[in-house]
Amino acid sequence: MNEPIRDKESGLSNAERAPKLKLVSQSTYLKEAALKNLFLVCACVAVAGVALIFVFVGWRGWPVFSEIGVGKFLLGKEWLPTEQLFGILPLFVGSLVVTIGALALGTPLAVGTAVFLSEIASHRVRAIVRPAVELLAGVPSVIYGFFGLLVLRPIIAKLTGSLGFGPLTAWIVLAIMIVPTIATLTEDALRSLPPGIREASYAMGATTWQTISRVLLPAAKIGIVDAIILGMGRAIGETMAVLMVVGNAPVFFHGLGQPISTLTSQIVMDMPYAAGMHRTALFGMAIILFLVSMGLVGIVRFIQRLREEQ
Amino acid sequence: MIVTGSTTIQPIAEVAAEEFMATHPGTAILVSGVGSSAGIENVSSGTSDIGTSSRELKDEELDLRLVDTPVAYDAIAVIVNPSNPVDNLSTAEIKAIFQGKIINWSEVGGPDMEIGIVNRDEASGTREAFSKIVLDKERFDPRAVILPGTGQVRSVVAQAPGAIGYISLGFVTPEVKTVAVDGVVPEEPTVVSGAYPIQRVLHFFTAEEPAGLVKEYVDFVLSPDIQETVVRDAGFIPITAKERFSE
Repeated sequence: MNEPIRDKESGLSNAERAPKLKLVSQSTYLKEAALKNLFLVCACVAVAGVALIFVFVGWRGWPVFSEIGVGKFLLGKEWLPTEQLFGILPLFVGSLVVTIGALALGTPLAVGTAVFLSEIASHRVRAIVRPAVELLAGVPSVIYGFFGLLVLRPIIAKLTGSLGFGPLTAWIVLAIMIVPTIATLTEDALRSLPPGIREASYAMGATTWQTISRVLLPAAKIGIVDAIILGMGRAIGETMAVLMVVGNAPVFFHGLGQPISTLTSQIVMDMPYAAGMHRTALFGMAIILFLVSMGLVGIVRFIQRLREEQ
Repeated sequence: MIVTGSTTIQPIAEVAAEEFMATHPGTAILVSGVGSSAGIENVSSGTSDIGTSSRELKDEELDLRLVDTPVAYDAIAVIVNPSNPVDNLSTAEIKAIFQGKIINWSEVGGPDMEIGIVNRDEASGTREAFSKIVLDKERFDPRAVILPGTGQVRSVVAQAPGAIGYISLGFVTPEVKTVAVDGVVPEEPTVVSGAYPIQRVLHFFTAEEPAGLVKEYVDFVLSPDIQETVVRDAGFIPITAKERFSE
């Protein structure tokens, strides 16, 4: 699909053909060439940005591995910077707990929304629901944090008998935040299915539910997994909203309403005052986050390749 | 003129310096927060004109013969939800609560209700003082909720029946209840008299008696203009309150 459209006779792409057209004036040609290079520069800036961040974070964070040791840093169970203990395992587990819980709550909600939008909703209903879902993606995360802190937290506090800071509150906040990511991508996946399989299913006498559950969702499986992984990237990287509701206690998960901490929120909490090895350790945590998101992007690319091969 | 030292005193010293420079054109005061120990070190070595400190001098620092000008009291109130019937806690009980050794209000004469500790982040000067005075620098309960601001601690304690937290006395509002510590209610008179235990004095140290520009600046910080506005806005109690209550 990425192949440029080629002229049937010459076998050249439009871009290759353009300069050869005698009808194009010199100034148009220059303008075209300038624009082409401008877009190249745009693409390079993005690549250079990622490369620079990676080099910077790696350079600042590397000493944590060489001086504290990979084992003590990654598998250490205590994060007590004032006592020079930089074990990030509780924070890493915290990030995982928060992310997985948010996906477990958010995925059914998002896939349900996508199915509704693509298969069930009438034109008029869709015109209201879809912008609303897209609007969710545009709400700043600090607003989600405030919502979690002031509305959800007291409710969770009553339910669990604690202060209401902890994974459960973070799950609910994050689940709402990742709905737009997963829902829009899942809807795209459902819409890109050939209309024939839908029609065939209905023609066989299948009900709407049977068509959705037995035909459409299995057919769009890879696209949905893709959507979930991108939602996971959003959840694991979310900082501000999590920081406000998770309680920020750097300990292992020990209850739905008991505070824990995550890699991202701990970086934000500590950055203003961290110095020396503490600061280096924060950059080390950033390296870990970078590797995790690189892994997620890698998985997404792999899945997309699977999808193209299908 | 260079003022270095405690990050706790930073807001006072810096705002006062800005106002001083605005009213005294041609003067330049550089304020930087490097920590109390560094401030004392700097003033004794002569690299700073004033060293600010949120702690008293240590024994070995007494030999430096620095001149002490107290500028404010920093008192920390232990706050609970207004619905909580507990009115008084001993220092030992507060320490045990914040270390996670006492976990239910019934152990300190309250109802059968889980205690929810609300702690501050390590960047907080209030946490540092609380840790030093109440916990003897021992560890806090690591499972406690950590919130990054006085306002957040106050609003959570105001909402949650079982919560306990600590904030600067100057930031206490009626939405939370302060508890008496060792039977002493935290109020300006008890802080100034030294009866209330969770407090410290904020100091300006100079190498010799302040003179010239240094004296002008120190006097400016001690003037009612700064004491009643900047010092109170930072949550501290003016040092000038002492005269009022000792009369």
